Amino acid sequence: MLFRNKMELKPQVSDTPSQHQQQQKQEQREKHFHVLAVDDSETDRKILEKILSVSSCQVTCVDSGDKALEYLGLVDANHQDSASPSQSERSQEDGLKVNLIMTDYCMPGMTGYDLLKRVKGSSWKEVPVVIMSSENEPSRINKCLEGGAEDFLLKPVQLSDVKKLQPRLLKSFDQSCTNLPDIDPMTTDNSKSNNNATKRKALSPEPSERRPKMKELTVL
Amino acid sequence: GYLDDQFVQLEELQDHANPNFVEEVVALFYKDSSRLLLNIDQALEKKPLEFTKLDGYMHQFKGSSSSIGAKKVKAECTLFRDYCRAGNAEGCMRTFQQLKKEYATLRKKLEAYFQ
Repeated sequence: MLFRNKMELKPQVSDTPSQHQQQQKQEQREKHFHVLAVDDSETDRKILEKILSVSSCQVTCVDSGDKALEYLGLVDANHQDSASPSQSERSQEDGLKVNLIMTDYCMPGMTGYDLLKRVKGSSWKEVPVVIMSSENEPSRINKCLEGGAEDFLLKPVQLSDVKKLQPRLLKSFDQSCTNLPDIDPMTTDNSKSNNNATKRKALSPEPSERRPKMKELTVL
Repeated sequence: GYLDDQFVQLEELQDHANPNFVEEVVALFYKDSSRLLLNIDQALEKKPLEFTKLDGYMHQFKGSSSSIGAKKVKAECTLFRDYCRAGNAEGCMRTFQQLKKEYATLRKKLEAYFQ
């Protein structure tokens, strides 16, 4: 499992403050690590969705780069580019959280690389983008990494590939959760952690309540 | 063998919450495959062959085959694509016949597996 650490699995006799924090962090991750998965292959979407949900992620699947941009509010339903950046910012203000985008490279219309560039040039630019491809082409890999991709995975993608991404992605995720990047959660005392817990809940509302409903999207 | 480690990966993803996961993935594979094989059949009727188009279909088919671990079918896909890139019509058609045989065998094996 992606986000579970060994402490969680042992039965606890007493709940010490640090274990309580770990528990809260675990719940936080389970509710809120949201992955947007983009792939034109239905078979691959199903497999990726399973890998990610087994890894305790929330998953939204779409079948094209265009649908991904619509979801992020970067293009309206008529496929016009949003006239101003405000539409995607509004989505984010409404509480739409996407913590990771995983996209296939080869798709009809917009490629994964095109999607990467669009995301990196938008208000979603801080979101890591991982590109997946069946072709092990160094020039393609370099192009994607230079374009700002977090990583490049060879297909077929496996659970172990997602597990390898975990440490890097979780670090920035946890920081954004606590909103206090310099605080080491292990040394935070009990009273502070209660405040943080309240803060975390306020910052990350349940995505299901806030996510805009888009009829055209295939959400698995 | 007809199925490689990737199939085992799918089995390992199956759990109590989704006891039919592998079957569902295979069903999607059949759906993708039927469509692509039909497209390729039709494209092979058009002379002269449109190699780029054929390569495109086969790229997709190879992808799905790879995702479920269909080793032998995937190998035929690679061969077909090599012939496409070489512009070898004869090679393409011969390979496609072989591919369809492998695919039929695979389906039989999978049907037995799900009994």
